[in-house]
Amino acid sequence: MKKILVAALLAVMALGGAAQVRTGAWVDEVVFFEEPTHAKGVEMVKTGAADVYTFGISAPDLIKDIVANLGYEVSYGSYNEITFNPVGPTYPDGRLNPFSVAKVREAMNWLIDRDFIIKEYYGGVAGIARWFPITPSFPDYAKLADVARALELQYSYNFDKAKAVITEEMKKLGAELVGGKWKYKGADVIVKCLIRPEDERKQIGDYVADQLEKIGFTAVRDYKRAAEASPIWLTGDPALGLWDIYTGGWVTTVVDRDQADNWAFFYTKLGRPEPLWQAYVNEPEAYQLWERLMRNDFRTAEERLEMMAKAMEYGLKDSYRIFVTNRVSYFARSKNIAVASDLAGGVYGAWLWSRTLKFRDKVGGTVTMGNTSMLTEPWNAIAGTNWIFDMMPIRGVSDYATLPDPFTGLPWPQNVEKAEVFVEEGIPSLLTLELGKDFGGGLRGWVTQTFVPVGSIVVPDDAWADWDAKAQKFITAKERFGGPVSARSKVVTTYPKSVFDRVWHDGSKMTLGDMIIGFILSFDRAKPDSPIYDSAMDAPFKTFMAHFKGLKILKTSPEVVFEVYSDSVFLEADLTASSRAGYLWPAYSQGVAPWHTLVLGIQAEAAGKLAFSSAKARAKGVDWTNYIAGKSLEALVGYLADNLKTNYIPYAPTLGTYITAAEAGTRYKNADAFYKKYGHLWIANGPLFVDTIRPVEKVVVLRRFPGFTDPAAKWDVFAEPKIAAVKVSGPASFRAGTAQNLKVEITFKDKPYELAQLDFVKYILFDGAGNIVGTGNAEPVKDGEYVIKLTADMTRPLVGACKVEVVVASKVVGMPSFASFSFAVTR
Amino acid sequence: MENLKRIGKYTVIRGVLIVLTVSIGVYLTVIIATMGGYMDKIQDAQIKEAVGLALQGNEEIRRLPQSEYKKIYDMMVEERRKEFGLDKPWIERSLKYLRNAVTLNLGRSERIVSFSGSGEVRRILIEAIPNTLVLILTSNLILFFTALFTALYLSRHYGSPLDRVVVAFSPTSAAPAWFYGIFLILIFASLLRVLPYGGMIDPNLPPGAWAYFKSLLKHLILPVMAWFLGSIFLSTFYWRTFFLISSSEDYVEMAKAKGVPPRAIERRYVLRPTLPPVITSFSLMLIGSWTGAIIFETVFSWNGLGRLMYRAIQATDAPVIVGSTVIYAYLLGITVFLLDLLYAALDPRVKTGAGARRMA
Repeated sequence: MKKILVAALLAVMALGGAAQVRTGAWVDEVVFFEEPTHAKGVEMVKTGAADVYTFGISAPDLIKDIVANLGYEVSYGSYNEITFNPVGPTYPDGRLNPFSVAKVREAMNWLIDRDFIIKEYYGGVAGIARWFPITPSFPDYAKLADVARALELQYSYNFDKAKAVITEEMKKLGAELVGGKWKYKGADVIVKCLIRPEDERKQIGDYVADQLEKIGFTAVRDYKRAAEASPIWLTGDPALGLWDIYTGGWVTTVVDRDQADNWAFFYTKLGRPEPLWQAYVNEPEAYQLWERLMRNDFRTAEERLEMMAKAMEYGLKDSYRIFVTNRVSYFARSKNIAVASDLAGGVYGAWLWSRTLKFRDKVGGTVTMGNTSMLTEPWNAIAGTNWIFDMMPIRGVSDYATLPDPFTGLPWPQNVEKAEVFVEEGIPSLLTLELGKDFGGGLRGWVTQTFVPVGSIVVPDDAWADWDAKAQKFITAKERFGGPVSARSKVVTTYPKSVFDRVWHDGSKMTLGDMIIGFILSFDRAKPDSPIYDSAMDAPFKTFMAHFKGLKILKTSPEVVFEVYSDSVFLEADLTASSRAGYLWPAYSQGVAPWHTLVLGIQAEAAGKLAFSSAKARAKGVDWTNYIAGKSLEALVGYLADNLKTNYIPYAPTLGTYITAAEAGTRYKNADAFYKKYGHLWIANGPLFVDTIRPVEKVVVLRRFPGFTDPAAKWDVFAEPKIAAVKVSGPASFRAGTAQNLKVEITFKDKPYELAQLDFVKYILFDGAGNIVGTGNAEPVKDGEYVIKLTADMTRPLVGACKVEVVVASKVVGMPSFASFSFAVTR
Repeated sequence: MENLKRIGKYTVIRGVLIVLTVSIGVYLTVIIATMGGYMDKIQDAQIKEAVGLALQGNEEIRRLPQSEYKKIYDMMVEERRKEFGLDKPWIERSLKYLRNAVTLNLGRSERIVSFSGSGEVRRILIEAIPNTLVLILTSNLILFFTALFTALYLSRHYGSPLDRVVVAFSPTSAAPAWFYGIFLILIFASLLRVLPYGGMIDPNLPPGAWAYFKSLLKHLILPVMAWFLGSIFLSTFYWRTFFLISSSEDYVEMAKAKGVPPRAIERRYVLRPTLPPVITSFSLMLIGSWTGAIIFETVFSWNGLGRLMYRAIQATDAPVIVGSTVIYAYLLGITVFLLDLLYAALDPRVKTGAGARRMA
């Protein structure tokens, strides 16, 4: 009897435990409201009036307040540089442009003290120094961190060196230093500084002008905001000499895993078609290298890294731009809140935010989020708002085939079982997330890659390769190409069996119709014969068709398997796989949508009442399609009412095979009930759904969607970036010529960092004079511990106060960690 | 009959003058909003910058050979130029803006959309007006009548402690209302936590009109208070001085000497002659509400016409700027016109036409 009771009790406990497994979102409700004043937004988090303020704060005082009183996330997506006018040595009016000389530009690296700028203008917290076109928090930098560190030291502030080099070059140009002022043909050498006053670039511009004045130039400061400055530096002719230096700024909103083409973009004609870029003339060797990097002209990852290391060096020698700072933005949140934040895009840019958002001390609850500006443009999944603060709730209610890692940019599978990538031999295609490989925290790889002989990836005759908008049928590869055609790559994607258990927010189950309509729309909007033709699609469609060869569905039950043939291959097989896996997923540029709501917009656009894109809406003088409010929504609801009566199936000649009248009827009824309950038609499929939208008051309320059955903890590993803490220890002093071991401890939150998650640990050895005398790899010992083995030969030339700098690169976070250890070496 | 004729002629001339004035004002606005055509250059640069960045973000496009990249870039730039009408000369577009504005065909915006997502300028303005009216008009009405009646009281109690307080505090109106707003937010929202920081309603408001109304009222307290504090002392001081001057007119002194009761003096000899300026001030205050208040609305996160204009200026959306200005211009013109008529009715000293010239 006692045994039975115990067993029953255990069973009840087990059931209770099972019942407590949270699915979907951790929180019950997320309330977004608009708060344009940043200081007030932060204050509201401090007083509990909001839980998160989603704007990235860069004001040093506010950051200090956040760090002292709140929890926070950090992003590194924007950066500042100094752009030089390359024309010269003189402009047509005879004025000298010293920055036409590469050595003068190179010397500008020594003239400016990046550390001073960070301390003085960023309060020591809102920025980090930057020397290269690659971002210090992105994977490429991490892989090259040792090379970068050495170059950064070589190009750190050295006023005397800068002055000496510039003096020498100025004299070569025929200028004279008279009474401490540079003169050219009797006139002062004027440097026109075009300075952006909106942010810290004002101080940076002023600082650079001050430094130039210190070495004898006459700096003229011209403060112009973005709109006024663009026609001068960006689209204007640099030969007019309206500016010599410009304080540039750039933003990256996603972690870019491949920045190898950034040198070509920033330093060569290949970057942009505007006159400034077309005025760039490079050293042939540098140009070839950068151009090859842009074309992915290398065989292996190692070769690419070697080329990039060289590109870094060339970039500093060329210095048509000198990179100065990387802004660090802080996102204020309550200490009791956990949420994923993208290293580039911050909280609002993290695709995983709604899957990781939670209170640390409880399950459920309402999170209130302040947003600097929202509901500024219509929402439609095809070509609606692209406003970053609106995309945050839109992504929060959407489910995707893959989701980007906020710390490395790698795509992780959400609705993909596996992807097999086939690539022609000779094409550089690297693989990181190898199928079955353990990445820790429950993350496993999902991609395989096979290299095949050139010409062996033949597109099947019956693959869908184009679209006939009149007949509303796919054009097969045979019809499009006329005969057998090969592609450079093929990706076979498998959606899991559970894919058809996915439920839209109105209760409709996902079907093949949702998948195929999306693929049809990739073509139909770009076809002049289509009633929804949009000329804004011409350029992107042309690009798409240049590489797309065909798609074939191999299996539709129980799992969906399809293959995509294309000539486009990303540098990493993981990215190629992710791109192709999305071809049938009902996600569009600006959100997800089921076929039965998309069709309403299609009907409205075909009737000339609305248009999905702003470009077409303006051209036709109609409203931009909006699924959440206004007259536009009324029009969509009108079509819904009609369709309820007719069970309308869009693109019937094709979709009629996949959608039955019964399904159509059920779908329209579901959408109608949803609209009547919630007052909008934003029907998505993610862990949260849109409960309330108040466009006038700028409020959006999202609620947990019970039909989303993934475990809530599925993405918890991304709630916090695993940025390693590094400590180096060893003897405080030793004799030169003796072998020494230095211990490197690597932890995250005081726990040892898993070896499997570390990419490398490198060290740079400095002698007493600060010169680099050696570099090497530390050796792994166990989780959280590496050892640097300095041989007797390595320590032999050392004397005095020496040090090692250690660079730790992780596989799970793009941001490398640094540490240094000083020691005395005696003879 | 002759009077009617004269009034009719006067009305027509005034009407034509108003339309002419509005047209000039609107065209000046068009020139300013588009920087005399230089805005085209700016927009062109912005388009190129945006297209370049968009292409840079596309892995499959950014690595194309330069000639192919350039083709796509040019196509996209041209498409965007057409979208914003930059394929047509500025002068043509500026005259179109003027024609549309004068005929009150406000057309469609270039970038901004209404709260509900419409691109019609009319709708953009219509959706923002109620918010501004609720906030600015309420504040103005409370301010106006409080100042007026307090001033009347003070004019009767010249030199009283309250009068001295008002005079002493009148320089405080030098600070704008949003300045007081920040302090009020700090005290009542941040420190005491009894009133909201801003916005129009509580974000997680339960459904229902009553809940909405209560929340709206709660959110109005601080901004109305800030608006009131920002101007009350100076407004009261102004009206009180005005009434004091009116109270010392000879005919008022005569009435006092005749023993007319103070209430009757106030009503007949002070208020009636001062009515035209009071009505003028009141009317212009009403019209002034149209423009909203950019910083004030921003401080209180209130989506009215002020913030709309700020967005329009930032986005260089000429149709919205022109649309808002033309409505204001027409309202002002019509108000001035009506005031002219009202003056004639209220004040026997005001004459029209030849009679007026004779009097002069």
